[in-house]
Amino acid sequence: MGTERLPLGCDGTGRPLEGGPNIVSRPLHGDPISIHPSRRAFLLGTALSVVGWMNTRNSALADVVVNGKGDAPKKDIFISVFMRGGADGLNLVVPTFEDAYYRKRPSINVASPKNMKVDAAARAVDLDGRWALHPMMAPLQPLFKEGKLAIVHACGSGDQSRSHFEAMLAMERGLATEESGSASGWVGRHLDSTDHSGSSPLRAVAFSNVMPDLLRGATDATALNSLSDFKLALPQGMPERDLHAALKNLYNTGSDAVSIAGRETLAVLDTLNRIDPDDYAPANGAVYPKDSQFATGLKQVACMIRGNVGLEVACLDHRGPYLWDTHVAQGTVFGAQAGDLAAGLAAFVKDMGSEMGRITLVAMTEFGRRLQENSGIGTDHGRGGVMFVTGGGTHGGKVHGTWPGLEDRQLDEVGDLRVTTDYRNVLSEIVQLRLKNNHIDKVFPDFTPQPVGVVS
Amino acid sequence: MKLRRREALQLGAVAGAGVALTGCSAIARRFVHTQPIDSVRLPAGDVSKETRLINRVSYGPIPGEVARIRKIGAENYLTEQLHPKDNEPDILSTRLASLEALQINASELGDQPEEEITRQLQMATLLYAVYSPHQLRERMVEFWTNHFNIYSRKGEIAYDQPTDLLQVLRTNALGKFPDLLRTSAHSPAMLQYLDNQVNRKKDTKGAGANENYARELLELHTLGVHGGYTQKDVQEVARCLTGWTVEDRFMHARGTFRFDADSHDTGAKTVLGIKIAAGHGVEDGDKVLDIVSRHPMTAKFVSYKICRFFLGDGADAWSDKMAEIYLKTGGDITQMLRPMLLSAELVSGPPVMKRPYDYSVSALRALNVDTNGDLALHHHLERMGMPLYQWPMPDGYPDRTSAWTGSLLARWNFAFALTTSGIHGTDIRLSDVLEPKKSGYNTNFDNLYASIFGEDPASDAAAEMRERLKSHREPERLAALLISSPEFQWR
Repeated sequence: MGTERLPLGCDGTGRPLEGGPNIVSRPLHGDPISIHPSRRAFLLGTALSVVGWMNTRNSALADVVVNGKGDAPKKDIFISVFMRGGADGLNLVVPTFEDAYYRKRPSINVASPKNMKVDAAARAVDLDGRWALHPMMAPLQPLFKEGKLAIVHACGSGDQSRSHFEAMLAMERGLATEESGSASGWVGRHLDSTDHSGSSPLRAVAFSNVMPDLLRGATDATALNSLSDFKLALPQGMPERDLHAALKNLYNTGSDAVSIAGRETLAVLDTLNRIDPDDYAPANGAVYPKDSQFATGLKQVACMIRGNVGLEVACLDHRGPYLWDTHVAQGTVFGAQAGDLAAGLAAFVKDMGSEMGRITLVAMTEFGRRLQENSGIGTDHGRGGVMFVTGGGTHGGKVHGTWPGLEDRQLDEVGDLRVTTDYRNVLSEIVQLRLKNNHIDKVFPDFTPQPVGVVS
Repeated sequence: MKLRRREALQLGAVAGAGVALTGCSAIARRFVHTQPIDSVRLPAGDVSKETRLINRVSYGPIPGEVARIRKIGAENYLTEQLHPKDNEPDILSTRLASLEALQINASELGDQPEEEITRQLQMATLLYAVYSPHQLRERMVEFWTNHFNIYSRKGEIAYDQPTDLLQVLRTNALGKFPDLLRTSAHSPAMLQYLDNQVNRKKDTKGAGANENYARELLELHTLGVHGGYTQKDVQEVARCLTGWTVEDRFMHARGTFRFDADSHDTGAKTVLGIKIAAGHGVEDGDKVLDIVSRHPMTAKFVSYKICRFFLGDGADAWSDKMAEIYLKTGGDITQMLRPMLLSAELVSGPPVMKRPYDYSVSALRALNVDTNGDLALHHHLERMGMPLYQWPMPDGYPDRTSAWTGSLLARWNFAFALTTSGIHGTDIRLSDVLEPKKSGYNTNFDNLYASIFGEDPASDAAAEMRERLKSHREPERLAALLISSPEFQWR
């Protein structure tokens, strides 16, 4: 198949009715617009869906054209990891040179690598003599030392509400604060403003129960919890083909949000038929931690990348075993959180090996946490947070950004680490230099990016 | 299905500037992108007023319900729903009676694993929703469960959550908002979930109050994030609530509220511009609840959320009016609901996408199921993205359409499992719906259609669907496909 060209009905999204590899090489045609899809087109669509399905089954992975046209600049696959709940940047990437850090956090500080009074296992692991990682983040230390992992400290949005939901919305929408601007997500706008003729139904995938705001506005994004579970459970005596066709029949023509989503779902099912996540064997001796939702998600991203299903963007949440919202007893839960993040990331990078050259992964959070620990031996919502960047062209081995300091006069009026790097500066570099999207004004409207130097 | 004229017109209006819809053109693509997907709507036509009313007020009709409402009239139906009695049908009372977690106190539940408590809580909630004739109360329980969301897997909250469900949410579901808020603020499950049990006055090391509950109290429970409070207000409210904790002393009944005077910050405070004098104890927190309960922004925020729950994108039509009633009646929920539920907008407004929970319950009701409400059903809810009491963040499950359109595959799998005895403990009774003597496709289709959509199978919409599904003659398969259809995802 591969080069097969067949007339198709249209579904109102401007895309052919069905996904599957048989449409990938077909140029979209500018048919005269019709309000009423004709009965004939409708029947044809149904018949085709069966043909398409059969072809899909027999097609080799090599038939799939990845990332659109061959002559387009090669762009990276973008992976967004959102640490939800306000991850404490100060305990993830520890400013061991700050007295104030140890004074204000008498119970929950992370000991400096040089502090021999503390067990080696409880000491931070050194990055550059000044900065050090939480001990459970040790799996990321080699990446930093090899120059593959970049860190940006004291970064964040302009959100002053210290509300999880406002701050997340601001970042997912790509705005200074939630109150201003567009309701669509910045990743959605990125996808919308790059060439996506003939793109895969699995172009953008969120590993989540619900679609994150990051992807809002993207018509071709999919939210799924697990590749293995993303299949039709067949009732006895009903072949998949019949069920698929019956559903297609129900979802073929509606222009409501559900009908559109149903068609997307059916197209994704077609494409996913071609990979087998249960049999995925990580490369380079990588071992993904078991019982980690995050690592399982990354492993599935790896499976999709290796399976060449046309993935351009993957969005994952990092919630961890205890959540990042560590208002209470931070010392008892934070290590497990950090460990879950680091072990998953390290396994993914190892698995991908040289493929990392065409991947950019960013881990970020809605805000950092207050310097002063609270009465519950935890920390409340703060401002400046931390970002991690790894992948092709990353200027790693460095803690980027301008450090504002932790003495009272250097903190903001509430006592929080100041934000000195707008998170959009980091993302803008990635969008322009790695994702080859020059429409930065569309992705981050009303924003003039300043160089940070995290990627090139 | 042809697009109906009305739908085409409606979509044309949404598109503005006369951009025609559909077709594989750049223009159509731009339209779809610039309009949030939420605003693309199903047509309002082909649904009767009674069916719409039942779908909007309740979890959808059980067989015979539409005819009953036609007989008694909308106003009587709503009066009945707004003033529910305590009696429940035998099938429900019997099944609830076997759930120990709802019968005894938190302090006596300790010998059971947390998962068991949560399981019983989930079962009870679902059984009420499926079987109780007091449907509006059940929907308001769902609403308040989200408004005052608690994640059952945090710490040992599970043991205190049955009390929260019974004494906070169910008792006050149609009562007065200030009572609901006050009982929630004293609820051990809430105090633990948002960490107020460790909210104490500043210690010698300088560690300050814990702001978690104080912030969400203002942001999510009362004023709303744009309600005009500041970070300073959050900190002051946190100080007022220092010492509001959960009983955990030896030989004291656990799972009850306790004010720990030793942890309370007795200094003077200012909350939303109102001075609270130094030297008081538990009254400081009471005062805060009083201030926010009477606040016009609370009236506005709570009313808007209620309107969104019932009217979706049509919420603006009623939220200001409801807020006025809130202020006039001191937050009387029944009085706030009544005119909105009787309004033309309720039945004529834009469709609202069912979230996985209401989707499932409506399917169970439409097919007149016999269910124990047990785990097998909750596994399906989990795969659809909405397991009960499992949303970790305090904002509750999202209400926007775009959050839920990704759950269709899991919905289809649920529909087929449901109709093919694939859900342990849940049996459908298609024989109640079908006519035993006539079994042709058209008869079966008509009966299933009438039961599932609560609609006359003589309509154009039914004719279209009948044509679409005509190659599926088995009633079970037909029922599954009707429940899987886009039309059934909307209310």
